[in-house]
Amino acid sequence: MTGQIILQLIVSGLALGFIYALVAIEYTLIFNSTGLLNFSHDKFIMFGAYIFAAQFLLNMGVSPAIGIIATLATMFIFGVLVATGIFNPLRNMASPLFAVIGTVFLGRILTEITRLIWGATPFTVPGFLKGVVRIGNVVITKANITVIIVSAIIVVLLQIFFNKTKTGKAMRCVQQNKTAATLMGINVAKNINFTIALSAVICAAIGIMVIPLFTVDLTIANMIGLKGFAAGVVGGFGYLPGAIVGGIAIGILENLSTLVIPTLYKDCIAFVLLIAILLIKPSGLLGHKK
Amino acid sequence: MRKSLKGAGILLLLVILVVVPIVDKNTYHHIVLCQTLVNIVVVTGLNFITGLTGQMNMGTAGIMAMGAYSAALCSTKFNFPIIVGFIVAILMGLIVGKGLGYPSLRLKGVYLSLTTIGFSEITRLVLTNWVDLTGGTMGVQNIPWINLFGNKLDTSFKIYYFYLVIAILVTIASYRIIHSKWGRVFKAIKDNVEAVDASGVDIAKMKILAFTLATVLGCFGGAMYAHMMGYINPTTFTQDLSANYLAMMMIGGIGTVGGSVLGAIVITILPEVLRFMENYYWLVFSTIALLFAIFLPNGIVSLFTGNKLLKRFGRTEKSFKGEE
Repeated sequence: MTGQIILQLIVSGLALGFIYALVAIEYTLIFNSTGLLNFSHDKFIMFGAYIFAAQFLLNMGVSPAIGIIATLATMFIFGVLVATGIFNPLRNMASPLFAVIGTVFLGRILTEITRLIWGATPFTVPGFLKGVVRIGNVVITKANITVIIVSAIIVVLLQIFFNKTKTGKAMRCVQQNKTAATLMGINVAKNINFTIALSAVICAAIGIMVIPLFTVDLTIANMIGLKGFAAGVVGGFGYLPGAIVGGIAIGILENLSTLVIPTLYKDCIAFVLLIAILLIKPSGLLGHKK
Repeated sequence: MRKSLKGAGILLLLVILVVVPIVDKNTYHHIVLCQTLVNIVVVTGLNFITGLTGQMNMGTAGIMAMGAYSAALCSTKFNFPIIVGFIVAILMGLIVGKGLGYPSLRLKGVYLSLTTIGFSEITRLVLTNWVDLTGGTMGVQNIPWINLFGNKLDTSFKIYYFYLVIAILVTIASYRIIHSKWGRVFKAIKDNVEAVDASGVDIAKMKILAFTLATVLGCFGGAMYAHMMGYINPTTFTQDLSANYLAMMMIGGIGTVGGSVLGAIVITILPEVLRFMENYYWLVFSTIALLFAIFLPNGIVSLFTGNKLLKRFGRTEKSFKGEE
């Protein structure tokens, strides 16, 4: 019986862990290429979820498949816009403080816009990825399976993109050395715009995937946003494989922790882990040094 | 000439701060003014770590919550005199400062912003869920008024003048610290870490010191807030509050005492002024803050002392680009 519970917790922890991993990847991309932390990333996720659920599914009534494509496209354009209008000017400031404050307020503006367009009432999307699958004694929700599969696909696609395509390679160059990248004929500003747009698209994907897991409201992504930050540090800051390991570790650990501590305090695990890692092994679980 | 102008400006501000509550009898306005003074204390603290030393502290809400709850619980649950509550709040500030500063400030990078966010969230979760001690979402009620040498400060009008004295003292102390050896090291750490390191200064120790100053003043501000409102609950102390303090610091002018004071006044009062826009006021307020970050990053103060600050800004920008 206990074994079954543990297995159950691990599976649902794995799904959430993949979400945290994606969050960590999404902000690591921006951090690596601009040196800025995007403190509005949870609002990007929320925005993506609202565009998909409130606008395309409930207001316009399109089928989920078209809705997903339309949302990703919208978020790509949105990413390019904020990159040109906000991230690129902030990146060139004397101190990264202005960028932090700028992104925090960008997040607030997004929340306000969402509230004004779609209202503040929380809602759910009926019938979207509902239902369960039984494997032996373990019950897994369809939403969790989708999260695990889709996240794995995104991770693999990103690896291929970064290692095989010209744009991906250029993005890695920009992350390492902007001056040299410019000399090699890479348009750094354009490249950064693309990175941020890519990050916004990942945010939208996360937003769509968490819809069946939570109620859609303005604070839907606050917790996963913060835990994503923790995941990045736990795995190894600024290192994509580290982000994945950190995310999954946090997801599984916090679910298993409910066996020992009250469920109410489950959300603390990620942050306790963050501080513990900084004390014991600042380079993260994978020990990657930049 | 410039110096006398500055003196006149400070005097004018002081006169305004003293006179306004006498002219304006509205109690709600008095509460907003008291809140402004609390914010001045907190922002002056935040200025040490974020403004001067350049380390991002995103957990002001959690720090204030620690101070507010220590003071409130001391005087309601344990029936200690109010002064004990304030002392416990200050001690709490010391503990938080050392405890969070040690793991995150030994390392270079953005770790402080992440640990402080984490700390803020843990604090909020614990305060919400530890119902026996903190009253959970019901909060702590009936926090007593401050009793000053037998005079009960039982209206926000009376508290205002007490807090005004505290705020002035904190501001003067902060001005003295900024222009002392500590202040110069803080600024140097922000501008050029390598040079500070080469001069034989223990960077980690100085960063932790700056952070501890911020947490002590933050907790103290929290205690002031608790005794002013008479009621606190965990939903006040969210990420939004932390962001507000950052905005105050930046919109006023990063790294200067005058900037912190101006920022605290503007950002506390601006949303109240913008309230006529009802549904849109928060959006307008956030947009103003974002525009400030992009177009006037050195804040309102740089409008007065424009040249000097802009030049400094330009120079650091160049050196920053040169590093890439």
